[in-house]
Amino acid sequence: MNAQLTEPKTKPAPAPAGATRHPLAGHALSGAEVVVQVFADEGVEVLFGYSGGAILPVYDAVFRHNATHAGADGREPMPLIVPANEQGAGFMAAGYARASGKVGVAVVTSGPGATNMVTPVRDSMADSIPMVVVCGQVPTGAIGSDAFQEAPISNIMSACAKHVFLVTEPERLEATLRTAFTLARSGRPGPVVVDIPKDVQNAALAFAGEGELPLPGYRARLAAVERGALTDEDCAAFFAALKQARRPLIYAGGGVIAAGAAEALRDFVDAFGLPVTTTLMGLGAFDTTDPLALHMLGMHGTAYANYAVEDCDFLLALGARFDDRVAGLPEAFAPLARFIAQVDIDPAEVGKVKPVQWHHVGPLKRALERLAAYGRAHGVALELGDWHAHVAALKRDHAMNYDRDSALIQPYAVLEEIDRLTGGRAVISTGVGQHQMWAAQYLNFRAPRQWLTSGSMGTMGFGLPAAIGAQFARPDALVIDVDGDASIRMNIGELETVTTYGLPLKVLVLNNVGDGMVRQWQKLFFKGRFMASDKSLHRKDFIKAAEADGFAWARRLERKEDLAATVADFLAFEGPAFLEVMIDPDAGVYPMVGPGASYAQMITGEHIASRSAPVPTDAGPAAMF
Amino acid sequence: MTMSTAMKHTLSILLQNEAGALVRVAGLFAARGHNIDALSVVATDDPAVSRLTLVVHGDDARLAQILSQTRRLVDVLTVEHTATDEAT
Repeated sequence: MNAQLTEPKTKPAPAPAGATRHPLAGHALSGAEVVVQVFADEGVEVLFGYSGGAILPVYDAVFRHNATHAGADGREPMPLIVPANEQGAGFMAAGYARASGKVGVAVVTSGPGATNMVTPVRDSMADSIPMVVVCGQVPTGAIGSDAFQEAPISNIMSACAKHVFLVTEPERLEATLRTAFTLARSGRPGPVVVDIPKDVQNAALAFAGEGELPLPGYRARLAAVERGALTDEDCAAFFAALKQARRPLIYAGGGVIAAGAAEALRDFVDAFGLPVTTTLMGLGAFDTTDPLALHMLGMHGTAYANYAVEDCDFLLALGARFDDRVAGLPEAFAPLARFIAQVDIDPAEVGKVKPVQWHHVGPLKRALERLAAYGRAHGVALELGDWHAHVAALKRDHAMNYDRDSALIQPYAVLEEIDRLTGGRAVISTGVGQHQMWAAQYLNFRAPRQWLTSGSMGTMGFGLPAAIGAQFARPDALVIDVDGDASIRMNIGELETVTTYGLPLKVLVLNNVGDGMVRQWQKLFFKGRFMASDKSLHRKDFIKAAEADGFAWARRLERKEDLAATVADFLAFEGPAFLEVMIDPDAGVYPMVGPGASYAQMITGEHIASRSAPVPTDAGPAAMF
Repeated sequence: MTMSTAMKHTLSILLQNEAGALVRVAGLFAARGHNIDALSVVATDDPAVSRLTLVVHGDDARLAQILSQTRRLVDVLTVEHTATDEAT
């Protein structure tokens, strides 16, 4: 044990044969220049951040790097995108990371700059999104003195981030920053915060060009997880149970996307024919237009997905964590499943909520490839014709539907029209609430990383900055922020960021004059007392706001008969476009499995066929969340 | 098993001596709803490593989960469950 622990504080990464020394190795750089050089070495192509006193040396180093490394066309290698508020920068970095799979990078100042970053960091932790956040800090000697713009970021972020470093020894800066990228990407991804006092940014250093912190505990555990391979016995036990099953189902989560395992999942399904339902975070892990796709399960999942969960006798959970929006009542979740198998990269998720009969901790892509190869080699062929017919009947008989004859504009109709025009290929971000669930339910996602939503934290205001970050990740993609009137208010300052950078993204606001999801719960559980959720006295004219921020295309849709033409115009506009749709304020999100209820108690609403009369839940409002 | 909620568990944690490492361990236990009944921190032969001895109570499932969560902390080297005692 101790031999492992007495390594030098920074160890050079083993150089591959023939590797060349870093061209800047041995050069004198300031701490700030080291930060920017490590960014460049890590392949960072865009930064998001807001300046301030304690981060000025790094900002200046970014300026100089961009000035000296500009492309022939004058393009900066590492543009720094400035939001209206640091929270915007955090969600831009997260949107970039979610859309690209790369590490998103945000750089902010100390104190309020850093505390404004707490929400995006926690949001990214909860959804396992890789980010590196560099915060300026007051000089080392001033830490703890209640200095101007000082906040205990190491303490605060400790509780929210995958890890936080406070760099007090300048000579460890380079290795620390490089390690932050490794931590953010490896294992279960997450946000890493590096808090850098101003004197460390100004320190005179010799650049090494290599080396990371040893982190013996983390690296040993990571290596064990990554080595984790399925033995023949593991595979045999898995297939022995699967062969017994008549109604096997895959429950795929965001881990499939984080692991880059969507192709392996496709191949596994092609080989054995299991239908797939995904979590909110897993949308896009499996093409939602596939006949075997059941779309989303859970509290607002499709009725057919939830019925399939009720009916399945074998459940394979892939990178999914049985959270309370999926398994609100864990003991009643998948009640007929005699065998639950779970694959996850995080040992802490195995059996955390629901006991499982078989599990594997390791990289998901490799596990799926191994299982598929084993099954094929052993001639596993499942007779799932009846189950496939059952699933097809569920999809037909309990399809998503709504009041198509209403005189009011139904939000579902707007989304169906967008889906028809984009073919399920657009990159979609959302705020949080009803519009988020409608988008999850009514839009198709043909591939991973098209669906960017604050799943676990449920942060209103996520949609607009995340869409901005995504547009930087995918400059040529059609990026649409599907937002609500309340959610977009939270970060509405970022409308100006869209036009400042000339981003062609589309902002859709489904306006139901208030906090629709809160109203839905107040209707159901609080006798319709709409405390604080009605915004009919609010005076904002969203169109004027968008125009004031430079949107050349900003329209309000109020008549149902104009829907198709307006949506088509909106999506076809070449630059930034803003569309506000005045929707039926009473439109609800159905199906709904109430908090703490079982899927058998699902309410499907007036327009989706239910298999049974809804059973009222017995939990009182106080117990619900 | 029926007695398990009353059991006291002693955990021995080897921790890298980094800024904020102790806060991260204590904060994790607090954030996940565990009261720490006793806590001691001592130096080891390796100046870069401290040993934390920590006593918590809870049932087996809660114990298993907090052990797993502790192993997710980057500064943590090893976590051992060294003793189980009847709570007094």
